Amino acid sequence: MRTRIGTQLILGMGLVTGLSIALMAVVTLKAQRTALVAQMTRSADQLSETIQNSARDSMLENRQDRLHRQIEAIGRGEGIDRIRLFDKKGTIVISSDSAEIGTSVEPGVETRPEHTRIFNVAEGQRMLGIARPIRNEPGCSAAACHAHDPGEKLLGVLDITMPLGPVDRQIARSEARIAGLALLTLLASGLLLWWLNRRLVVRPVEALAAGTRRVAEGDLTTAIPVEARHELGDLARAFNAMTRRLVEAQRQLAQADKLSSLGRLAAGVAHEINNPLTGVLTYGSFLLKRAEGNPELKQDLEIIVRETKRCREIVKGLLDFARQTPLRRQPTDLQDVARRAVAVVMNQLTLHRVALALDLAPDLPLVSADANQLQQVFVNLLLNAVDAVADSGGSIRLAATRAALPAWGHAPVRRATCPRGCDLMDREFRIGGLPAIRATRACGGRETNIHLDPVYGRFNHHVGEACEEGALQIFGCPHCRVPLEVPERRCPRCSAPVFSVLVPGEGAVEWCTRQGCNTSRWETQDAAGARPVVELVVEDNGPGINSEAMAHLFEPFFSTKGGHGTGLGLAVSWGIVEGHGGTIDVWSETGRGTRFTVRLPLEPVEVHQTAAA
Amino acid sequence: MTESTEPGNGSTVWDVLIVDDEEVVREGVRRILEAQGLRVAVAPDAASTLSHPALHRCRLVLCDLILPDRPGTDLIRLLRLVRPDLPVIMITGYATTDHEEQARQAGAAGFLTKPFEESELLEAVRRVLGGHGAASGERRS
Repeated sequence: MRTRIGTQLILGMGLVTGLSIALMAVVTLKAQRTALVAQMTRSADQLSETIQNSARDSMLENRQDRLHRQIEAIGRGEGIDRIRLFDKKGTIVISSDSAEIGTSVEPGVETRPEHTRIFNVAEGQRMLGIARPIRNEPGCSAAACHAHDPGEKLLGVLDITMPLGPVDRQIARSEARIAGLALLTLLASGLLLWWLNRRLVVRPVEALAAGTRRVAEGDLTTAIPVEARHELGDLARAFNAMTRRLVEAQRQLAQADKLSSLGRLAAGVAHEINNPLTGVLTYGSFLLKRAEGNPELKQDLEIIVRETKRCREIVKGLLDFARQTPLRRQPTDLQDVARRAVAVVMNQLTLHRVALALDLAPDLPLVSADANQLQQVFVNLLLNAVDAVADSGGSIRLAATRAALPAWGHAPVRRATCPRGCDLMDREFRIGGLPAIRATRACGGRETNIHLDPVYGRFNHHVGEACEEGALQIFGCPHCRVPLEVPERRCPRCSAPVFSVLVPGEGAVEWCTRQGCNTSRWETQDAAGARPVVELVVEDNGPGINSEAMAHLFEPFFSTKGGHGTGLGLAVSWGIVEGHGGTIDVWSETGRGTRFTVRLPLEPVEVHQTAAA
Repeated sequence: MTESTEPGNGSTVWDVLIVDDEEVVREGVRRILEAQGLRVAVAPDAASTLSHPALHRCRLVLCDLILPDRPGTDLIRLLRLVRPDLPVIMITGYATTDHEEQARQAGAAGFLTKPFEESELLEAVRRVLGGHGAASGERRS
């Protein structure tokens, strides 16, 4: 049977509380009864003292009638049932009930000189009986009446009977009071338990259960709000961390899967296509050789051979892209790499009459890099430049210099999360070749997506819909909707609120929320100072790249070369440079040219496994 | 289809044995080499290569890396047992460059990456057969 934790807790707690209160009540009531009886006994003692004193006077004066009246008067008093005086033979000498006088009781309990007893009388009423001895005194034996022999010790017994009714009533009242209080305590503690349970257990557990259900349904953007500062809060935090890791693992898996299936596909396609291509190429080139006498046929055959060779290059490019060979890093002389790359493209340069200026600084330090892969990057960039300026009298400049790269304007945000840990990087949307940071932005009652420039100090944000200049904007996480504003911080320039994203392991980046106020702060990077890099520039004075093409420049299979590009060169290059922990920047202006800048860090850096996807 | 016999001449003599499971590749290569006056035999797989009469008389084998019955590298090892001095040119697809090293270790004398054109094929053959290879062949028809 399913019983809620709360119910079990309340029942258990109620049982324990009830039992403790009952035990306490029994002990308390017993003590109270004893105290009350003791009090009554004390007052009876005082009474018997008083009676004995006055009795002594009366007896010394031998005026039994006065004593009798006195006892009768006292016996009528409140809280007194009966007062009797026995002589030592058990005969009632004096009694507040005058009918009894002269009768005698059997010597026994009542006539025992010193005792306290509780007994029931006919109407179910309880009585307290107290007997006190009246001892012989010198005054008595010497009195004129000579009633008592000095040899006698005990003259008689004074017996006072008092009804216990008032005590019983008081105890009953106490019992009722305790029972009421117990009920109230049980109710109050039950309510408190219920409330605490609801607050500390039920609500966090419900949130956890709901989150688990959502994750089970496949919604990995789920984040459980963490409010509880106890074990369940830890559990919620652990849960959130788990879903974050799941998302990351899923993404990596999907990426690896995409790459490996692309690789398998490419290898399969290459293998299958190579045989028919071999047939076309061998027959084509064979025929071409025999068509010397027929210029028209020769021209057609030349086209067949040329285009088949192009197919061969495409397949090769596809395989290069799919193969993703791991980096083999070793101290590398970049001058060497640059010169080898130039040697590879030298034919193309000559063929298309392109001038190349080499501008390699002599003091370049060795860089930990994969020389072959870097050479591929240079060849790709140089070939692109050659294509841009071919046969137009253009020129290319290849430069390599040492530089100190300030964080501002250069340091890229490669990972970003909201305060609850949702991944904010949008790998489908790139700004300057790097995945952008996605957030929601609300201004003037409308909410749109914004893609933030991932480079610190650069503000090429991509906004869906523009806000009014100077308008205040509200930024949030696109997954869990948590606001990104930092409450206690203000923009140092315009004092508007700032918002931030977290960069795991590297602090947080802040931006001003005011539209047009390009203020940003990344304390971790600012504190680290400028980074030593080697800067490699491939620059041409060709027609430039239009902004439409710019957005897709590093995507695989994107090409502006129409006929003769595979669209893989820059995608592969980007992956290689990323793998080295470096960056590729593009600057281009229509009609003026294009400049690719590759920056490789000089200090050992973490290798990013995002590779050419 | 598994062998080629020179027409006109009673004795069968071969210069080159081509092993490839793709007919279009076999025939294309055969055309080019025959145009150079070389006598060519063909086989589609390892088994028919090992039982081919040309195996004992030819001067060169062109062998695909991937054959339907066993890897080309295995075939090279077997050929080396039969004719240790017979040079083999391994035909590989670009997709299988990882196997190039294995082929070299197995004893291949040269490589030809698919797809190739006439000049690349002749260059590879010439390099293995030396000056007298293709050039010395005299076309008999």
